Amino acid sequence: MHADDVVRCHVLVIGSGGAGARAAVEAAAYGETVMISKTLIGKGGCTTMAEGGYNAVLRELDGCPMHVEDTLRGGAFLNDTALVDALVTEAPARMADLVRWGAVFDVTDDGQVAQRPFGGQRFPRTCYAGDRTGHEMMMTLAERLRASPVEHLQEMTVIELLRDGDRVSGAVALDRRGEMVVICADATVLATGGGTQVYDISTNSAAGTGDGYALGYRAGAELVDMEMVQFHPTGAVYPYDARGRLITEAVRGEGGILVNAAGERFMHRYDPDRMELSTRDVVARAIATEVLEGRGTVHGGVYLDVTHLSPETIEERLPIMLEQFLQFGVDIRTQPMEVAPTAHHLMGGLRITPEATTTIPGLFACGEVTGGVHGANRLGGNALADTQVFGKRAGESAGRAPVRAHSVDIAQVDAQYDRLDAFFEGTAPPSTITDRLKLAMWRDAGIFRTGAGLRSLAATLTELSAEKPKASGPANLLECCTVENMLVLSSLIVSGALLRRESRGAHVRTDLETAWPPEASPFGHTYQSIRGKGIEGVRP
Amino acid sequence: MNKTKPLTVRVSRYDPATDDAPRYETYTVDANEGARVLHVLHAIHDDLDPSLSYRYCCGSGQCGSCAVRVNGEPALACMKEAEDGMTVEPLNLPVIKDLTVDLAPLLDRLAAPATAADAQLPTKEEIEAIKPLRDCIECLSCVSECPAIKVAEFLGPTHMRQEMRIALDPRCTDDRIEKAIEEGLFTCTTCQRCVQVCPKEIRTPGKAIEKLREIANRKGLTLPRHVEVANLVRDTGRSVVRTEATFLEQVPEVIEPDAPVRGEVGFFVGCMYNGRVPQNALDMIEVMKRNGIRVIVPHDQVCCGSPLIRTGQTWVLEALKKKNIAAFESRGIATVMTMCAGCGSTLKNDYDTPFEVKDVSEILTEYGIEPPAKLDLRATYHDPCHLLRGQGISAQPRELLRMAVKEFVEMPNQCCGAGGGVRSGLPEEAAALGKLRDEEIRKTGAEIVVTICPFCEFHISENTDRPVKNICSVLLEGYREKDRRKGH
Repeated sequence: MHADDVVRCHVLVIGSGGAGARAAVEAAAYGETVMISKTLIGKGGCTTMAEGGYNAVLRELDGCPMHVEDTLRGGAFLNDTALVDALVTEAPARMADLVRWGAVFDVTDDGQVAQRPFGGQRFPRTCYAGDRTGHEMMMTLAERLRASPVEHLQEMTVIELLRDGDRVSGAVALDRRGEMVVICADATVLATGGGTQVYDISTNSAAGTGDGYALGYRAGAELVDMEMVQFHPTGAVYPYDARGRLITEAVRGEGGILVNAAGERFMHRYDPDRMELSTRDVVARAIATEVLEGRGTVHGGVYLDVTHLSPETIEERLPIMLEQFLQFGVDIRTQPMEVAPTAHHLMGGLRITPEATTTIPGLFACGEVTGGVHGANRLGGNALADTQVFGKRAGESAGRAPVRAHSVDIAQVDAQYDRLDAFFEGTAPPSTITDRLKLAMWRDAGIFRTGAGLRSLAATLTELSAEKPKASGPANLLECCTVENMLVLSSLIVSGALLRRESRGAHVRTDLETAWPPEASPFGHTYQSIRGKGIEGVRP
Repeated sequence: MNKTKPLTVRVSRYDPATDDAPRYETYTVDANEGARVLHVLHAIHDDLDPSLSYRYCCGSGQCGSCAVRVNGEPALACMKEAEDGMTVEPLNLPVIKDLTVDLAPLLDRLAAPATAADAQLPTKEEIEAIKPLRDCIECLSCVSECPAIKVAEFLGPTHMRQEMRIALDPRCTDDRIEKAIEEGLFTCTTCQRCVQVCPKEIRTPGKAIEKLREIANRKGLTLPRHVEVANLVRDTGRSVVRTEATFLEQVPEVIEPDAPVRGEVGFFVGCMYNGRVPQNALDMIEVMKRNGIRVIVPHDQVCCGSPLIRTGQTWVLEALKKKNIAAFESRGIATVMTMCAGCGSTLKNDYDTPFEVKDVSEILTEYGIEPPAKLDLRATYHDPCHLLRGQGISAQPRELLRMAVKEFVEMPNQCCGAGGGVRSGLPEEAAALGKLRDEEIRKTGAEIVVTICPFCEFHISENTDRPVKNICSVLLEGYREKDRRKGH
């Protein structure tokens, strides 16, 4: 490595989705900001794929206390209330930022940002841009970034955080050809998004491999509630290779109904009050139960039907859904969709304060890679708000961090060279490891879990971690690093699931009786770091 | 149950760091039923050759990372269904490796709007106007296929889309029209290739480029030659100067066929066939007469307005539309035939007509024609943009041409450079595109080039040494040859 391969900056933002882009925009006001992304800006992460919307209290009839309560109830009261307060209180202001910067959200006839109903909320507070809301936000943020001095390192992937003593001081990355790049920063923001690509059936983009959880964990950060995996109720089931593709909650928000193979609208058995607009954990379990009990379709799903809506409504409100299904030979104006649950979002992640600081100095985090905001189950529409609220907070906190003298610890860089060199001697093609991982995770860390299943899964993960991923060339080194990250993330999910001996929100242990409603649970967060793990017992 | 089937595909491989030129590799993989192109690339990468480079991310048609060419046509790999025997190539952009092209420098040049610090939420109407331009996923398929970029300084269709998005947004404070002109606003030939390859079907020429040209017009920034044309239309009702006897001066209002009457059409002649190349229109009349089709030619018709719409000078347009619609409606004409691709596209897409509009090739193939003698020629066909993409017509002209010549050879389709006001406004660019047509014509070894658009006919003939003929003139030659052979 040569000295000129070192990039130096005040703030390093890792990730270019909604949270990372927002953090970079904010941090740029404080000093030289570099945003590094394993994809092209605006194309990576899951924000650009987010369809349904952004929750914000904008109307007089709505109120922040109600949004807080919906979020806590939806999250089975596992959320950090300080984080929820920040989310709810600031979501409207961050929406106003987007509007001021030119975002093209739908508006009502009387000139307000339009809102639609979403699951688990007592007020229609989900702002939207058709069913391409996240894409609209990314377009806006990308426009903002183009006009900013933020430097972009695109298609470069961070493989390890650098430390200076106990603080994070930058990162080591690989470019497209497998060449190493070192970045030194006064403050580093982790905004790497989620990781449900560790599941066989997932809505996540290819970037959703959980790199940030692994980077943070290896650097010493504490993570909370990693067992809390949201299975979105409605993913595509066909064709096989597109299984898991997100079918937005907006379909139900606009009036879509769920029907089993026998033609029965079944949600009355699971949540007669809220029906299809119950929370995601409830609807996902309902669909899974229908299928398990033999009332599913041949493709192993149920029907989601909007044919009772007018074609114009579908074309205007759900254009992406219409277009995608047409590509797969289904006209949703006249035919029902087939859907089944799909791994969607990790509620757990790095423990943060409302200022987006993590448990290690110099490292900030925002967006899906963090935990605590959404508790045990996230409300649809709260994630996009999360990216903006905590993206800004992380960018600001990182920007305010003191300027430091940069020094690169050559031993840490050499350790990465050693790690990479070993991949050339590897024996297992990365995809053979991930294929097995995804199936095992889907089977034993899915919607319904048991202690026995989780323990056997933990053993499988140990076996897979002993495999040596093989890089057939420098450009393949990254795939090997990614496999390692996916294995770290999977282990965190499984450990968390074993630590939490109750059913709560998205985490269901069918082998345990849960004798309390979530608000009376004796348990708090599960926590894990390289120093240890456990579960908080807030009510002994 | 999921079924798999073997697929054999050809993939372009190229590493500019080590290879002189791209090469094709053939792979056979087991693909799941309904697999997309992307899944085949995954299978190649995972099972056969981990060195294959391709870009992808969302897997659901929303991020625009994975556009490639499949059998020559741009498509999103994650949405396009894979087929046996397909060829997968990178977009026509600088290749980084294999199927990965360099998008970042082009994306960086998309305009960034400056918005006021106290910008207010636009109205519903304003939002609805911007939305169609906002669907873009920036895959850059349009840029990769744009003919203007090959020969002129033009950033690209999506860059114009972005400029129009800014122009429509009341929150954006800066006037960027001069910037848009610098970026190549007037170089677009409105060939619609960008619309054809856009996965979101964004109508950039109509929704952005022509609208930006209107803004330029209001600011007095229209190209001088375009202003002359608009003034000519205002003063004479025609976009070309009268130099010889026009078509309308040479024919009566009703032209009865020689054969028993099988049908009747009104003929919208258009400025070029009326004033610049009337012989082609007269040839068409002979073909109609021979095939029993009565042609009614209202003499009070005027320019369709296409040259004005394409160049953003729409201030005269409404008067023209009114006059033309009245000319045909007052005579009770149910079907109006065009022979000029530009007029046809304009009447079909920019007018709201009380009558049906059809191209001459549609009329002739629908009625069916007496077969002409096959001329002893090898011919190729140039698809006029406003016929192929403006009206979706490609089969009919070929069907007619195959009847009229001994040998028909295809050539790849591309704009000749005559459209969008480029021939008059930026003649060097038009000529450069014309030369590219000539190169393709030469490759076919054709002795004649046939087309159905007076602009294409006129322009291509200036850039090739092969004769360029209208399909009707070729048919008429075929009839004459038939009569001659009979006579002997």
